[in-house]
Amino acid sequence: MIGQQIINGLMLGSVYAMVAVALTLSIGVLNFLNFSIPGLFMIAGMSTWALIHAGVPWPLAILAALAITTAVSLVVERFTWRWLRGAEHFVPLVSSMAFLLMFEHLAIAWWGSEMRVLPPLFAGTDWRIAGFVISLPQLAGLMVSIASIWGLSALLKRTSLGRGLRTIAEDSDTALLLGIDIGRIVPIVFALAGLFAAIAGVLFAINYRQVQPFMGEAVGLKGISAMIVGGMGNTWGAIAGGLIIGIAEVLSVGYVGANFVDISVFGLLLLILFIRPTGLFAGLPAGRSGI
Amino acid sequence: MTHGQPILRLERVTKRFGGMTAIDDLSFDVKRGSRTALIGPNGAGKTTVFNIVTGAVPIDAGRVFVDGVDISRVASRRRIAHGVARSFQNVRLMPHLTTLENVMVGQHCRNAGLFGVLQPVNLWPRNRWRDTAHAALTEAGLDQYAGATVKNLPYGVQKRVEVVRAMMAKPRLLLLDEPAAGLNSAETEALKSLLERICANDSVTLLVVEHDMHFVGALCDEVIVLDFGRKIAEGTPAEIRTNARVQEIYLGTPVIDATERRHAARSA
Amino acid sequence: MSGYLEGVLVLLAVNIVFAYGAFLPVAAGQLNLGLAGFGAIGAYASAFLSNTYGVTPVLAIMLGGIAAGLIALVVAVPVLRTRGIYLALATFALGQIVQATLLNLEVVGGAAGYPVTPFIRLPTIALFTAGVVLVVALLFATRFGIAVTAVHDDERVAELMGLDVRAFQIAAFTLGSIIAGIGGGLYAHHFSFIEAQYFNIGLSITIVLYVLLGGTQTVLGPLIGAVVFTLLPEILRGSANWRYVLFAAAVIVLMALRPQGLLTGEQIRRLLGLDRHGPRRADVAREPAA
Repeated sequence: MIGQQIINGLMLGSVYAMVAVALTLSIGVLNFLNFSIPGLFMIAGMSTWALIHAGVPWPLAILAALAITTAVSLVVERFTWRWLRGAEHFVPLVSSMAFLLMFEHLAIAWWGSEMRVLPPLFAGTDWRIAGFVISLPQLAGLMVSIASIWGLSALLKRTSLGRGLRTIAEDSDTALLLGIDIGRIVPIVFALAGLFAAIAGVLFAINYRQVQPFMGEAVGLKGISAMIVGGMGNTWGAIAGGLIIGIAEVLSVGYVGANFVDISVFGLLLLILFIRPTGLFAGLPAGRSGI
Repeated sequence: MTHGQPILRLERVTKRFGGMTAIDDLSFDVKRGSRTALIGPNGAGKTTVFNIVTGAVPIDAGRVFVDGVDISRVASRRRIAHGVARSFQNVRLMPHLTTLENVMVGQHCRNAGLFGVLQPVNLWPRNRWRDTAHAALTEAGLDQYAGATVKNLPYGVQKRVEVVRAMMAKPRLLLLDEPAAGLNSAETEALKSLLERICANDSVTLLVVEHDMHFVGALCDEVIVLDFGRKIAEGTPAEIRTNARVQEIYLGTPVIDATERRHAARSA
Repeated sequence: MSGYLEGVLVLLAVNIVFAYGAFLPVAAGQLNLGLAGFGAIGAYASAFLSNTYGVTPVLAIMLGGIAAGLIALVVAVPVLRTRGIYLALATFALGQIVQATLLNLEVVGGAAGYPVTPFIRLPTIALFTAGVVLVVALLFATRFGIAVTAVHDDERVAELMGLDVRAFQIAAFTLGSIIAGIGGGLYAHHFSFIEAQYFNIGLSITIVLYVLLGGTQTVLGPLIGAVVFTLLPEILRGSANWRYVLFAAAVIVLMALRPQGLLTGEQIRRLLGLDRHGPRRADVAREPAA
């Protein structure tokens, strides 16, 4: 039984991990806590539902949702970062919070505030492996998560873009001196973060089949917890944090009751912030750290 | 506190930042009532000395005495109550307070505690703390700026406001970090007369970090020279001006390179 | 007074109270993203007291505020050891925990919500609001106001000037939470029904945003922000959702053009003629020789 829980936990955890990675990219490279990311997560999830509901075949719907969300992320970039370099330090954070609010209420205005249900896309495709049940969406979700993270890691390590990102994360002044064009890289960071948030939103919609305008708050904010648990600014830590929180949440539901999930997760977050704000996996200083 | 005691004594103080030794077994006294300049090339450790005295950084070895009291372990927040106040190299006034309110921040250490904090200083037109602050600004010739937003003021004015703010704490030792830096000659004159007014009685000792030797020569009666965190020389401005080793450090004869200078400093 | 008008004014009054609850920590340089949580504590505590023990609402609301303040005091010490982003996140986590705890507390209704029997009307609420505004304005006219602003502007220098920075931050945080608790209590006793789902991160964000909109450098800023946020949509007659969308858009634009908010201390001083040294006066650039 517990093995099954762990698999379910991994699935949930990978969604959190994707969101955590999106947040980590912003914090690591730009030192910017991007509150719009839970909103982007929601946009991806709800767009997926809306497009499928409108009759669009699901592969197309998924791609469109990813594209839409990434585009929206670039809009956010324009209004939180592009205009605001050098302004008061809290401004990007505040603007990103305003975007979250805006996205949620636009979603309500367009789609209403009720929960929406997606049709089951892969009914009857469960596999039984060694006594565990894994559904196709779950497997696909896990594989997509792993592939995305592997892709990101390859990007960071082996491309010049990746090197640029890591340099900016370490020291933006040095990056400038080395001739790295921060102005061109920033939109890419936002696009990547948007993409990861979008993947998470789509995975959530396909697997759990329920979306509503405030879904960003519940899930997106646990992503924030995952990021901190794993270590701010550390992508591998974010992933580990997401998986830990996902598993903890599923086990919590199973053994302690659904009600205490939030309390335990956020309690854990609070404890870590008190004791070790740099997170479990940081060997790096709090705040700016390498990716 | 006996009158002969130095107002400030550093006793074998060492401060390391990571692998770098900023202050190396440094000892010196600052005479009560004097106007002492602390000079030395960049990196000599002058600002570190200030940070040590105000408690902004802890020391690795040695002791610091203010007016005979060992303050080495006193929290930085409490040192102003021991009579040490400072100004800053880059003016650090509070941008969201008016000039008058900035000056009143300096009064805080004398007006702390629950009663002090709840003093309605901005409520009635007259309040003794506000009046005192205003009088100080007037004495410094700055009262026209009292209600102004500090970030719009000329740099020279801001620097003098910082000095007035420090004086509100009624310090016995006033540390000034490059007070004349960035000022034109008129502003420097204004600063000098302000400082001379402050030192008119002997109750305030000045310790000034400065690069402007003209300013030092005009204002100060004692000079301490540092290099590589060690004391190289001390004496009157005239004595220092003719000190061969000091000349080496500043004029930098090509033969003497950095390592030799450090070696010379070690044997000081 | 028509029921509709009374409803709008009550909402305005409650929003003003919440605004000052957010303003206090912001004035000291901290972002309290768990503000709604403290509002919830005040709401539930006061409702419980007046429902169960028949405590008169006015007293219950004040006790609710104190309850929120006590909890704030307990968590303030560890929470305020964090800074910047971490502080924002810690307060956010706090708010989530409070919300989740209240969702599980069956004695106050749990997820089904909690009906509140005693009822108060606009005059009482308006008095509370006026009281809060007065207290905060008076407080900021004391040395506390100068000290808190000094701490906000430059913690290190404030410390060197002898200010107990931590004490001021804890005081601002706790006072703000008490005020938020009072706001929650007012809300509970007029709208007669509270649920934990209402006191969520969205509410905290909204309140913080309209305080920032109004201007954080002056005691009148939160008032302006709450008024604009509450009354403008009434004038524009939009639906509730579009009100939020427009508000969010306004904040984004404002942050781009004028991050210090609508009202600043500098502006007030200039208007009152107390500050003649604005950047327009080019002839003040060079002062005469002493």
